[in-house]
Amino acid sequence: MAKEYEVFVEDLARDLPEGREVELTVKDLSPGPRKYENRVVRAIVSRRADQWPDADRLRVRSWTGVLYPETWAIRIVAEVGELVPGTPHGETLRVL
Amino acid sequence: MAFKDLRSFVAALERTGDVVHITKEVDWDQEAGAIARRVTEMGGPALMFDCIKDYPPGYRIFAGSLATHRRVALALGMAPDTPVKQIFAEYEKRNEITIPPRVVPTGPCKENILRGDDIDLYRFPAPMVHTGDGGRYIGTWCIAVCKDPDTSWTNWGMYRFMIYNRRHLAGWPRLNSHMGMILHSNYVKHNTRMPMALVIGADPLSSLIASASLRKEVSEPDVAGAMLQEPVELVRCETSDLLVPAHAEIVIEGEVLPDQVGQEGPFGEFPAYRTEGIRMGVACRVTAITHRTSPILSMISLGTPPDDCSVATPIASAIAVKKVLQRHGLPVIDVNSPPHAVLHTIVISVSRGGSEVTEKILDAITLRRSDWNKVFVVDDDIDIFDMGQVLHAFSVKCHPVRGVHVRDIPPGKAHALTPAYSPEERRAMKGGIVAFDCTWPPEWPRETHIPVRNSFNDIYAEEIKAKVLANWKAYGLS
Repeated sequence: MAKEYEVFVEDLARDLPEGREVELTVKDLSPGPRKYENRVVRAIVSRRADQWPDADRLRVRSWTGVLYPETWAIRIVAEVGELVPGTPHGETLRVL
Repeated sequence: MAFKDLRSFVAALERTGDVVHITKEVDWDQEAGAIARRVTEMGGPALMFDCIKDYPPGYRIFAGSLATHRRVALALGMAPDTPVKQIFAEYEKRNEITIPPRVVPTGPCKENILRGDDIDLYRFPAPMVHTGDGGRYIGTWCIAVCKDPDTSWTNWGMYRFMIYNRRHLAGWPRLNSHMGMILHSNYVKHNTRMPMALVIGADPLSSLIASASLRKEVSEPDVAGAMLQEPVELVRCETSDLLVPAHAEIVIEGEVLPDQVGQEGPFGEFPAYRTEGIRMGVACRVTAITHRTSPILSMISLGTPPDDCSVATPIASAIAVKKVLQRHGLPVIDVNSPPHAVLHTIVISVSRGGSEVTEKILDAITLRRSDWNKVFVVDDDIDIFDMGQVLHAFSVKCHPVRGVHVRDIPPGKAHALTPAYSPEERRAMKGGIVAFDCTWPPEWPRETHIPVRNSFNDIYAEEIKAKVLANWKAYGLS
């Protein structure tokens, strides 16, 4: 059975390019006490979920949490690790 | 009477009818948050969710501990119907001293100790508070503890933390918060891990103090002791030398990583908007969890006022501002930030106003950072706990040009959650502040320049007022 994930993106076109591998932090929406667990993955995504009927489903939210109407499809290629290399507050430090 | 722990406070709320136990099973996934939000918006009671879906009996969520002034008064040991102004005065009186904490060998928070493979944050019913939040926030009404290794200053702050995965928290102590400063000054620059502890379900006054913006290097445990009027009992962590409230429900010990981050947010925050979006949050690897048997997870379903953060936190924050202004030698009489100001607007009464005083007030309250962005300065004949009077003073005494003092707040010093700021401003933490001088210019002579207020108290001769009051019932008025 297909699983369902959720992703938050700042810029839909930039952060969810279709047809090539992209690194994403996705939330596992499997019901139960571990719902919303984060996974850092390399994946291929498609806006045309109907063309990938056997793929997992991806709910897409904007960076402020607004749900986009279409459900996407996602094929996870690999788990990348638990976290992401980086400095705390890096996004703010870059613009100061 | 001091409440050493959350349970004794809940028992007191039961006696006064200020808490409702919800025994029907409630889903941690949005349902508990939605119930708490609606009840808070209705000014209703605190809520204890006794039965949480997916979790064993005894694992509970408690919401809204200080979401009404009535419950703040109870937490301070005062009568529940104490006027707001008196609550502020009592807080200020207790805040004149500090009472250092007492370190005890053990405490209820050590009833269960989880280490190694037993560490699993999903053991606790962390709520998905709002639809569309970026995660399950286990730390909402919580105390994040860290320490400056050079000065041994222990900082308590209320910073949001969500469950990232089984062994990691992701959180957002702001860069210009005390935790952010300690993290970068002492740990990130040395590429070392910062010990921290996330305390959930502490006594109500310790949580209140953690939520406030106190001065750098003020020890919040000392201030909490002053509020409790007895030392807060602290116990040492299992995996660091941090000290945490011994009577807390849950303590998550961990290390903030200097070189790794985890996606965090968005989260419906205290300004009542989900303002700032996803970002790579501070990542904390959990090293141990200790908790009471049948733990209670404290929660705030943040949103439109009133709630704990807009009712209780402004008391501590306003008194902190008053102390700052007094230290700067300004003629401050009183300071208030009402719930609907959501810590953005502050009202200051002064014994002598004018442009110069207003500018000096801005200097003082923007020195380190500027969370406030609107300031009303009023004369001391205005009751600043009556927003009708404040609005009246603003409307008629603030000169639309000379009475408005605007400043830019440079990057790194403004609040990243202020909804009015653009996304770019929020990320760079830059913005502005405006002060409305609603005072009479001090150079205006009373007899010729200052208009006479035509209120009953101000415009009538004393003998007329006395006559009217003496005959009040005879007029057929009650």
